Amino acid sequence: MEERRTFFKRTGVLILGLTGIATLSTAVSRGSSSTVRPAMIIDVNRCTGCHSCVIACKEHNLTPEGYFNTTIITKDKGEFPNAWLTYSPELCHQCENAPCIQACGYGATFALADGIVVTDWDLCVGDGACVDACPYNARFLDPNNGNKADKCDFCVSRLQKGLAPACIDGCPSHARVFGDLSNPQGEFADYVRLLIQDQPNIFEEHKERLFHTIAKKG
Amino acid sequence: MTEIIKQDTPADTIDRRQFIKGTAATMAAIGFTASSRAEAEERRRVPEAHYGQTADQTDDDVRVVHSVCLGCNARCGNRQVVRNNRLEKISGNPYHPYNSMGKPIHYDTPVESTLHLPSPVCGKAHDAVGYVYNKRRLIKPLKRCGERGEGKFQEISWDQLIREIAQGGRLFSHLGETRDVPGLESCLSDALIDPKDPKLGSKRNSFAMITGRLQSGRSEFIDRFVKSSIGSINRIGHTDICGLGFRMGNFALTEGKQVELKADPWGAEYILVFGANIYEALQPGINTYGAAVADRYAKGEVKFTIVDPRAQNAAVHSHDWVPVIPGRDGAFAMGMIRWMIENNRCNSAYLSLAHLDAAKKKGFSCYSNATHLVIDEPDHPGYGQFLRVADLQSNPTENDKTIFMVLDDDANPLPYTANETALLDREASVMAEDGKTFKVATSFALMKRAVFAHTLGEYSTFCGIPEAQIIKTARDFTSYGTKAAVCQYHGAGNYTNGTYAAFAVALLSVLVGSIGMKGGYLTGGGAVASWKNGEYDLNNFPGKKKPTGVKISREGGKYEETAEFAAKKSQGGTGYPSHRPWFSFTRGGLSVEAMSGIDEQYPYGCKVLFTYFYNPVYSTPGGYRYRETLRNSEKVPLHVSIDIGINESNLYADYIVPDVTYLEGHYGWLNPHAPALKFTGVRIPCLEPLTGRTPDNKPFCLETFLIDLALALKLPGFGDNAIAGSNDAMYPLNTAEDFYLRAYANIAQGANLPQASKEDTRFVEKNYPLARNRTMFSDQHWRQLCHMLARGGIFTGYDTGFSGETFLHGIDRVVLYNEKLAKTRSSLTGKRFSGTVQYLTPEDASGKNIAQQDQDYPFTVITYKMHVHTQSRTTWHRYAMELFPENFIQINTLDAKALGLQSGDKVRLRSVSNPAGITGKVAVTQVIRPGCVGISFHYGHSQLGASPVLVVGAKDVFLGGPEVCDKDGVTGVPALGAGTNPNLIGRLDTNMANTPLVDVLAGIPDFSSTRVKIEKSA
Ligand code: SF4
Ligand code: SF4
Repeated sequence: MEERRTFFKRTGVLILGLTGIATLSTAVSRGSSSTVRPAMIIDVNRCTGCHSCVIACKEHNLTPEGYFNTTIITKDKGEFPNAWLTYSPELCHQCENAPCIQACGYGATFALADGIVVTDWDLCVGDGACVDACPYNARFLDPNNGNKADKCDFCVSRLQKGLAPACIDGCPSHARVFGDLSNPQGEFADYVRLLIQDQPNIFEEHKERLFHTIAKKG
Repeated sequence: MTEIIKQDTPADTIDRRQFIKGTAATMAAIGFTASSRAEAEERRRVPEAHYGQTADQTDDDVRVVHSVCLGCNARCGNRQVVRNNRLEKISGNPYHPYNSMGKPIHYDTPVESTLHLPSPVCGKAHDAVGYVYNKRRLIKPLKRCGERGEGKFQEISWDQLIREIAQGGRLFSHLGETRDVPGLESCLSDALIDPKDPKLGSKRNSFAMITGRLQSGRSEFIDRFVKSSIGSINRIGHTDICGLGFRMGNFALTEGKQVELKADPWGAEYILVFGANIYEALQPGINTYGAAVADRYAKGEVKFTIVDPRAQNAAVHSHDWVPVIPGRDGAFAMGMIRWMIENNRCNSAYLSLAHLDAAKKKGFSCYSNATHLVIDEPDHPGYGQFLRVADLQSNPTENDKTIFMVLDDDANPLPYTANETALLDREASVMAEDGKTFKVATSFALMKRAVFAHTLGEYSTFCGIPEAQIIKTARDFTSYGTKAAVCQYHGAGNYTNGTYAAFAVALLSVLVGSIGMKGGYLTGGGAVASWKNGEYDLNNFPGKKKPTGVKISREGGKYEETAEFAAKKSQGGTGYPSHRPWFSFTRGGLSVEAMSGIDEQYPYGCKVLFTYFYNPVYSTPGGYRYRETLRNSEKVPLHVSIDIGINESNLYADYIVPDVTYLEGHYGWLNPHAPALKFTGVRIPCLEPLTGRTPDNKPFCLETFLIDLALALKLPGFGDNAIAGSNDAMYPLNTAEDFYLRAYANIAQGANLPQASKEDTRFVEKNYPLARNRTMFSDQHWRQLCHMLARGGIFTGYDTGFSGETFLHGIDRVVLYNEKLAKTRSSLTGKRFSGTVQYLTPEDASGKNIAQQDQDYPFTVITYKMHVHTQSRTTWHRYAMELFPENFIQINTLDAKALGLQSGDKVRLRSVSNPAGITGKVAVTQVIRPGCVGISFHYGHSQLGASPVLVVGAKDVFLGGPEVCDKDGVTGVPALGAGTNPNLIGRLDTNMANTPLVDVLAGIPDFSSTRVKIEKSA
């Protein structure tokens, strides 16, 4: 195993022995990091509201009790007997020109070259300016860690290992789809097309990395 | 590979490839973006100790085990990630169809190459980490040191535990109890348990073991002990509280051959959901069934309608929500059937096919007896039974007595296999050879007669749904050919008389001809190979007992054969009623009637009761009644509980034996639930047991306990030379592994698996604790076993289960009229039950309508499972409790207005059976029918850590040690007792010693008839 993984790292090629029918290999351009734009698309029409993603995230990131990197926004719809609840998974949108980055007076919050917004805990003073600035309520101060600011970082540590973010791994119905906006592939590419079809200006209007489809029932 | 394990076709795996392609390619791109990684590492200089994310399956310092989850009974695979011998993370097993919406990766894929693949489990499964390390887990055996139920315990040594339970004696004399407690030894007698009634069996039946959450593996192990070794008939399951009503509908439909059938979520175009909570519970779980439905809903491939008093989470995607009155699913279904018949929307072409070959010729895999004739002449001795060739002949042969009859186009009777089709909807007169004529009717005609007993308007009133909606749903359901089916579960029929409701619901799928069809109403595909035969004979052993007599729950027993019946009859009566109901027509697993039988010492007394992972006081509607039973040492002279903690029921036990969790044991082979699919998952522990150990270094757990008892009592089937191998070798059964690993070897051999590759073998040997047992096997057998162990079982995908449009592993025949049911008599009235569907309301044992009796209590309580919880045992799931710290008493907005209540208000619910009632917090919602009160069933615990328990020397007894103990015992955490347990107000039956309400036909416990008053409380 170790040999294989070292091999992947060295060559930058990930080989998936998936089905025995097709072996999928993807060459990856190294060094040109700025071209990679990781993003998540959430298909609310696939989301069952099961909260597996939320728990998988807790399990991986060990956020303090009562604090979440991702949540499910549940809303009432309609009136009896035409009533139902809706589920919309939420997390950090990894905004370009992020309000949290702008709000931080210490340069602690910043974007990685691929656009993932992270916080340098050596610089964070825990004053919460970024938390207040976030339009999506995606940030919190971690009481277990000196009130440093934390939030979803698309599981950067898992991405480094070639693993999907914990919530992606955890979603039974594939309501969360993860991909590279610069080079959309497979189902992610289908969803990029769907988003543009249903919401033509979505990528212009939302300079972010989190997108939701439109509910069919409404 | 034999052809048993067919591989998936490209079409089968395409969706999944699409998903993985998108995700994995991106992972590669992002993960290996060197500058990004370097920057992240550089700038997030956070001490590992502070930030420490949990281990990932591809890390170098972890062990990874593929196994089967037991977060609930759905049987998904899981991938357990262990670092430093500590379980850190759970994800799914990509080989398992339940973790891949039915479309797993190719079975032969080398294991290490799959580790980075995304594979989901539901939230409950992740929460295993909190469960296994719960500080209030019991790790040492306890003996009570106070009165029964006082809740005082002390540790007892293993040897003393075994001795006392085996031998009995004056076990509590130090507490001033003078009685001689019967040990297990006292049950080892072939003398009659009741000298007046040989039919009840021997004294061996005075030992009963009631099992809660049990699965294949442990179930066979327990049966070996209880039935084959001790010889008691009383190993009683808990199918009744799991959901007996809907199973009884399928039991009637399939003549007992299968009790679980569901709409095929991968092929159906329309699913009619009756009381099946598809996005929050079910088996297969939300991880499989719900996910597959949601996936196909998003793609526009399936529509579904929910029939349920509560909208459920699935209403987010449903086509319609039909908020039926609780207990009235049958009325809705029968209204649909009436409309379907009147508007020619039944699949008559299918229903007219008179036998299996005819059905097969027309592309079906199963036929119905819709055309078969039933004798419809009240004076005829065979009234209510099928007309057979013999009924028309003066000198019939034996064979003639078995052949059903149908009517040809001219309404002449002839054997059912004579023509392909027969008249479907017909009543007629036939003449026997002796010239006597009598009336007959087809099964379909009898069903129709029963359905037409009420108008659509009446059905609408019964079920509380407008006629227009019944028609709309019926039209929808009949608009998709054989690609429409019902998915019924717990809610459909979980009340008295529920068999008939669920039978009507099940028939809907037959009436459109979707039974056994792709996209239709399907059974599961079964196991891949047998566990009991092969290299090792795990079935037979010298001295094996065959239990006799009647179960204490009376399931399967015939009242008319008892001495009680004869005595009552000889006194001039009819012989009826029996003291408590008998259930000759049931799927069984009647834990509630077993408890009530124990309470009433009927039909005989229980001496020694073992309960396994079973918490009846908490989990049974009205289970609070059993506190009385369990407290009473005459009714329960010796009670031993095997469990992982102190719960509401074993608080009353004499002894509690600590058990392992499914991360440390619970070996088993897990076959699919309905629908479709064929596989055998195997459960494999990733951790060494956290419980204490015996002097000979075996872990405290169920198996060690039963083995050591068997050795102490010199019972057959355990110990050295207990298992016969092929070529006459004998093997021991001294540890759990001695049994289970041999069963695994049989399965691997039966499936003709190849030898594992070097890499896959190394994967098992490096990662799996059970690799320590490899010396049990030859090299060759070990490598074959490793092929299965490395993958967590043997799996096939969805498509391999079909030939064209028909399911390969289904049943041959279903019935619209069930003769056995028609012959069954109520043991309380002596009256026969109807052989076809019937509209009945929930009634008590005296036959009185419950809703009418309790009309002063205006609200009906319904219960449900939440997506992150499982029944009674998940308050130890820390993320579930963090997300949802309590439950609520949900009421409709209209009712809230009338009562002046708002969300968050505290209320008291009182029922006729529990006038003191229970309290909880109101949540006002639109998604529940007015007049109903919805309460999820997981909260409101008083034990499992919610209250302190007096335990002498507690700090050695609980996993958390001193941290969870004070000088008196183990401390309580009020948060673990948050919320409301609806079972505490469950309706009891005053006609039956005030025990929990059950159905008199099949023993269905009632989850839908409890009515309450709501009062605002301070
Ligand atoms: S795991 Fe998937 S389906 Fe479940 S709540 Fe999260 S996004 Fe929705
Ligand atoms: S549904 Fe969830 S808890 Fe149940 S077996 Fe599947 S993963 Fe485990």
